[in-house]
Amino acid sequence: MLSLILILIAATFFSGIIIRTKSLASGRKGPGIFQPVSDVIRLFRKGVVYSKTTSFIFRIAPTIYFASIIMAMLTIPFGQNKGIISFDGDFIFFAYVLALGKFFSIIGALDTGSSFEGMGASREALYSMFAEPAFFILMGSLALLSGHTSFYQIFAALHLGSQISYALAILATFVLLMIAMIESSRMPIDDPKTHLELTMIHEVMILDNSGFDLGLILTAGYLKFAIYGALIVNLFIGSIPLQYSVPSFFAIQFLLAVSIGLIESFMARFRMSHNPQFIVALTSVSLLIFFAVLLILEKFI
Amino acid sequence: MAEFVSSGWIIMFVALFVIYFVPKNSKSLIAIAAVLLNAGVTSWIALPAIFGHAFELTLNAGSFLGNILIRIDDLSAWFILIINFTSVTGVIYGKGYMKAYDNSPFKLTLHWWLFIIFNLSMVWVCILQNGFAFLLAWEIMSLSSMLLVIFDYKNGKTLKAGMKYLGQMHISVVFLTIGFIWVYSDTGSFDFESIRSFFSTNNHVWLFLIFFAGFGLKAGFIPLRGWLPLAHPAAPSHISGVMSGVIVKLGIYGIFRIIGFLQSDYIVPGVLILFLSLITGIYGILNAAIHRDFKRILAYCTIENIGIIGIGIGIGLIGMGNGSPVMYYLGFGGALLHVLNHSLFKSLLFFSAGAVYQQTHTRNMERLGGLIKSMPQTAVLFLIWAIAIGGIPPFNGFVSEFVIYSGLIEGLKSNSLPQIILFVISLAGLSTIVGLSLLTFSKAFGTIFLDTARETLPHKPKEAGYLMLIAQYLIVLVMLSVAFYPQLYLNATREILMGVSNFEYLSLSAFSSHSAKISSINMYSILLIGLTSLLWLLRSQVLKQKSQQIDTTWNCGYLAPNSRMQYTGKSFSKPLVKIFNFLMIERKQFLDLEPGKNFSTKRKYLSACYDFIEIRFSNFFVNRMVYSANCFSFTQNGRIQSYDLYGIIFILAMFILTFFNILV
Repeated sequence: MLSLILILIAATFFSGIIIRTKSLASGRKGPGIFQPVSDVIRLFRKGVVYSKTTSFIFRIAPTIYFASIIMAMLTIPFGQNKGIISFDGDFIFFAYVLALGKFFSIIGALDTGSSFEGMGASREALYSMFAEPAFFILMGSLALLSGHTSFYQIFAALHLGSQISYALAILATFVLLMIAMIESSRMPIDDPKTHLELTMIHEVMILDNSGFDLGLILTAGYLKFAIYGALIVNLFIGSIPLQYSVPSFFAIQFLLAVSIGLIESFMARFRMSHNPQFIVALTSVSLLIFFAVLLILEKFI
Repeated sequence: MAEFVSSGWIIMFVALFVIYFVPKNSKSLIAIAAVLLNAGVTSWIALPAIFGHAFELTLNAGSFLGNILIRIDDLSAWFILIINFTSVTGVIYGKGYMKAYDNSPFKLTLHWWLFIIFNLSMVWVCILQNGFAFLLAWEIMSLSSMLLVIFDYKNGKTLKAGMKYLGQMHISVVFLTIGFIWVYSDTGSFDFESIRSFFSTNNHVWLFLIFFAGFGLKAGFIPLRGWLPLAHPAAPSHISGVMSGVIVKLGIYGIFRIIGFLQSDYIVPGVLILFLSLITGIYGILNAAIHRDFKRILAYCTIENIGIIGIGIGIGLIGMGNGSPVMYYLGFGGALLHVLNHSLFKSLLFFSAGAVYQQTHTRNMERLGGLIKSMPQTAVLFLIWAIAIGGIPPFNGFVSEFVIYSGLIEGLKSNSLPQIILFVISLAGLSTIVGLSLLTFSKAFGTIFLDTARETLPHKPKEAGYLMLIAQYLIVLVMLSVAFYPQLYLNATREILMGVSNFEYLSLSAFSSHSAKISSINMYSILLIGLTSLLWLLRSQVLKQKSQQIDTTWNCGYLAPNSRMQYTGKSFSKPLVKIFNFLMIERKQFLDLEPGKNFSTKRKYLSACYDFIEIRFSNFFVNRMVYSANCFSFTQNGRIQSYDLYGIIFILAMFILTFFNILV
């Protein structure tokens, strides 16, 4: 329950901070950090425009996408506090329920019959497919290290063994951060601020969504960031008491948002054809973590 | 109870007789009645068997075959129930599907004859416990299904697919025969029990591998899967549904049967099967992702699912070797559950694809589009199986995949380093398979049902007939029961697993804690559905007061888009083909503009993807075989005299060899 509230709070400012950082880095003042939230509220008040070619799939897709993100959010624990949904193998459920949302956002995009949206859908499907193994190898290694198989137990037991596990946590942070960037289609995979439909991924998939539906999709995007941020926080706060862990939650989320903002300000996006290579390389970082875990557990003789 | 078994034959013969004489539009009714009766009778025996009341009968089949043991234990019962359900839905669907062929009564008669024989032979494969009789039933099953595949025998491609299927099935029979004869020469009996005694005295895995090759051919493991992508698209849809749903699973049944007889040496076959299945799964789904013939996509997807089932079997075997009851249960239980799930959604899949084919007369998805408007029910059914087969919640595919995942994670606790590495690789592989199937099925659904029609079809497609829909809704019902009440099915798999091997120490507590955990995911699936409907309600409440406009799709300022500009299935999977170009061979045919010519005229551009194993390996062997066989083509000269001569030479040879005691 605690994690749910914290994630919801973090989601309100996360995207705002990214935008603010980018503005400051480019020498502008930028909007307030709650601007994304008021954008969404404005969208919820608006009417909708549908394309002639669409069917009910297009109308239901954003709802299912949003629901899947909420379900994924419920599995996230916070330190010693369980998530609302917690069972052995809940990280599989987490990944799969996100996949359900992705499936619907893809077919929702295909429903418009626009070739641009088809292009975005194809890329989204491909990249998320490549990101899957990295996540599963990472979670598998952490499960191996801690001897448990649910988010809550893994994170609670992660640092009980030795301090080396903090080094692993830093590597894992990199993997999770990159997965978050891929899943939310940010730099260096995708540039959310691009104005050319041909080079977009996520933005082009939602070109035809408007009003309430667009609001749901945007909110889901903010939540997604906060969810991955919470996962990263969990890598570190396993056994820290609440009075320290809650502030550090916000500190880490803030840091993540700032670093994403900085990455986006000072880095160019990859060429589209280099993206798969980059994402597969992420799997090798996960493998690195796996071998480190084997070393820690002295499985190598 | 014995009457029940023999009643199968009686029903069959009566039905065959009646079908021949009744008018053409009631032939299918008789077939439905016969299949229903048969299914009812066998399910009547199978249902108690699944909960431990095995049924046994000895049949005296003359001096040559001796006494044949007929036994329906829980493993057979599980497969019999799957066969029955798929056959029943298949025959109901088939009545709707075959309506178009009402003007050729002879073909219909033959078709329904074969269907009844096919159905019965599959059941017999599951209950015969004697190697020789088993091979007979197996052969009848292969032959009848081959004849069913070539229903449209005037089409050269169909015939070729049928021949290929026939050929490969006989390679499978050769392997099985070698296996049974090996056991026979060692123990002097064709009984299945003698395999157990063979394994208890001889500790080698070779016999297991021979059986695995034989059954694996049927199941479609790599590299033995050549017949699948050809035969499934060629057959009428209800036949491909039953074939892919069940025949392929009988290969799995055989593997399970043999595993039950293993006494030691579990690890080596386990690791081998796990590794092979992983490759099978990834290879299958990669190929499924790139094709544009949607029935071929489904066939490749069968290969992928066999891979997933195989991963479960591998985990189970390694669990037996490690002495871990939890792994044993999760691996084999997941495999058994996935067998059921796959037979459900694969038959549904072929049925709804068949409905599309029936309405549009094309299997090329690039010519379709926008069918959701003319065939809304088929579209929803298609969507349901697409989600289920992708293994994503809230449908049944997720339940079995979750069990298999849990098995893999349990395997991480193993002490041996190679096993841990294998399990982590499998974890990554399985997640890749799921990611790819997401891509494949969003592509298939998007291209066939969404967008607008890419070509004007000769007939305007309309919703499939009610019989075809009823069959599909039946399957959906069972799928939902697996998804939301998995306890029932998990208990059944536990009963089966208690009986399937001599792995006795499957503790009840380990099972019940795991089964409770697995069953808890259905609550979360319900929660997901509840959440979605709540949001949907909220959305419709909010939108009630808002303005709603209908307009054209945003095309980035371009005002005259047409349906040919839409993204196609090919373009959707193009990036994937580019990345895996070492595994997926794409061949293009087009004419370049000649030098000196500035303006192009209307030209053709062809591109097709080919099966890597087919092109690089199978064809190589087949070409060599054909080449060497051609050296003997002079013997087939078409003169009766020569054939007589061969007979005489053969008989003389037999005499002489026996006379000199060379042939014992």
